[in-house]
Amino acid sequence: MQQLPLGVRLRERATFDAFVVSPANAHAVSRLQELADGGHGVLWLWGAQGTGRSHLLQAACAAAPVSNRVGYLPLLGLEASGEDLLEGAGSLDLLCLDDLDGRVGGRDFELAMFGAYRAIDEARHALVVAASAPPAALPWALPDLGSRCGAAEVFQLRPLDDAQQEQALRQRASARGLDLPEETLRYLLRRFPRDMTSLGRLLEQIDEASLSAQRRLTVPFVRAIIGDAAGDP
Amino acid sequence: MPTPLTALADTPVDSPLWTRCAQVLAAELPEAHFNTWVRPLQALESDGTLRLLAPNRFAVDWVNANLLTRIGEWLQAEHGAYAPIVTVLVGERRDPAPAAKSPAATALPATARGFGKPAVGIVIGARLNPDTTFETFVVGKSNQLAKAAAQQVGENPGTAYNPLFIYGGVGLGKTHLMHAVGHAIQARKPDARIAYVHSERFVSDMVKALQHNQMNEFKAAYRSLDALLIDDIQFFAGKERSQEEFFHTFNALLEGQQQVILTCDRYPKEVDGLEERLKSRFGWGLTVAIEPPELETCAAILKTKAEATHVTLSDEVALFIAKRIRSNVRELEGALRRVIAHSRFTGEPITLEFTKESLKDLLALQARLVTIENIMRVVAEYYKLRVADLLSPGRSRSLARPRQVAMALAKELTRHSLPEIGDAFGGRDHTTVLHACRRIKALREEDQRIAEDYLNLLRTLTA
Repeated sequence: MQQLPLGVRLRERATFDAFVVSPANAHAVSRLQELADGGHGVLWLWGAQGTGRSHLLQAACAAAPVSNRVGYLPLLGLEASGEDLLEGAGSLDLLCLDDLDGRVGGRDFELAMFGAYRAIDEARHALVVAASAPPAALPWALPDLGSRCGAAEVFQLRPLDDAQQEQALRQRASARGLDLPEETLRYLLRRFPRDMTSLGRLLEQIDEASLSAQRRLTVPFVRAIIGDAAGDP
Repeated sequence: MPTPLTALADTPVDSPLWTRCAQVLAAELPEAHFNTWVRPLQALESDGTLRLLAPNRFAVDWVNANLLTRIGEWLQAEHGAYAPIVTVLVGERRDPAPAAKSPAATALPATARGFGKPAVGIVIGARLNPDTTFETFVVGKSNQLAKAAAQQVGENPGTAYNPLFIYGGVGLGKTHLMHAVGHAIQARKPDARIAYVHSERFVSDMVKALQHNQMNEFKAAYRSLDALLIDDIQFFAGKERSQEEFFHTFNALLEGQQQVILTCDRYPKEVDGLEERLKSRFGWGLTVAIEPPELETCAAILKTKAEATHVTLSDEVALFIAKRIRSNVRELEGALRRVIAHSRFTGEPITLEFTKESLKDLLALQARLVTIENIMRVVAEYYKLRVADLLSPGRSRSLARPRQVAMALAKELTRHSLPEIGDAFGGRDHTTVLHACRRIKALREEDQRIAEDYLNLLRTLTA
């Protein structure tokens, strides 16, 4: 008989503690922590999927003092309402805009963002942008905004190397209370796309299945849950 | 359409009740929801009501639709019959003496604060940026005329050139000059009322004043200024009501010999959507251009800016950055800040090599991603093979080694899974890829040539 997984589970938290900082990303993370703490500046983080952009933005919100007003806007998930959402956002102590690239080029959106940018800059608050490209590579509709973003502190987030990735995966598994044997860990890293977003999704799937099946996370068990990538590329 | 703002002065800073409620929501909501909808809220507790202030209408609607019930339940459970009533509205709490937080505000007490009695809606513009003065403005051929004119206005506001119209491309220092004049006026007359207002802000403030029936206060506040600095007037284009209002404000100020300084990204006559009468009036004073700086000025700007932060920049490094970042001064300074910050963080000196490394992705604009196909093409070229050779079943060393190098590069430079990489190389097994990666790793340590080949290829692919 299958046990139904309970609604209450250990959740992963997107915090700075849960983020594996590689030397290549150390500077970006340290600047972000300063801004989360109430510092002034404009940070532009860019990198491929799975390099931790969303995680870091959420971590900054979580790390900000409770008395500070902060806001996280995932622009990809809020397609219809970018301009409305940016209204008044310039008054926040820390504004985090995730997945900005899709919205660049839209004049109304950029006007709203320009307003928020100036308000934040004038109040000496903080703006953090995450995107898949640096500002200079995007098709800005407002050169005024493009130029200001181009002069921001731009950091490329680099993917983790193998050892760091192993560490990150282990950390995330244990945050979920999963006991992931060494072989299973290696199996996952060998067989699946090695970015943290994809690996996170796999963990989620495994977590779900293992709760109802009450089984040890052996390689055959995990393979049965998520299918073999070599089999269905 | 901006939504009316509720501004409530001198209210208690924290609501302990809301702080606890937010903790409960943090535990229950997905993290992203919490950060998007709950963290921007501010709370005001008084007389049996808990008012939650959100930045905009959209957020108010979302909280009402998705959280209000839960918040009400929690309050009921905590306080029963004494639970406060919750309302959500657009607004912002003005904490007592918020300006004291910023050093700029204390340094320039008279600048750009609210005029007239009510604080709502008629705070004009922003503070002058303490860093943008004449002293920090680096002069070259491209901007000397504009600076000279601005200095004269700073010395004789209202009489030298009125209005002063500065135009030029983005990031060339128009706003800097404008603020510098503001500082100069302030230095001579500390109680002068100076407001720096971006045109877009003028428009939105005016809309708010209209909505709140405060046009008289709005007009009075602007007309009582000693100097009005209006930035980026191209943003007035197509906004007829704002142009109308600005036209009257502008005339009133000029008549009263109050200084007006305007900036624009182009010559006034060339702005589409701007009324002719405004265009012609803008030309009544002096119109000066700021051109993009020539190379020597760029290098001089970099050296001056570096010195201001106690960093000495060699000519070689200054010229390198100046040559590579030609777009504008703002981005030039952005690049410099980045190099300096990187040097402070790593503790390394700013050499030419270090600078190249720090600006690598900025210079090359490496938005393009390295693909497996790209790797195969570059590797094949390097070893004078065809891509088809890398995909072929052939296992002679002259083919196998380059293939292994390409696989190792694919693993290092892309995020594809090993089975995907194997597949791309003529349908090979993922264990073959794994073997190739291990083999190349070992060979790079033993064999100088392989090590060099690998590095060359890595450089080509990421340069």
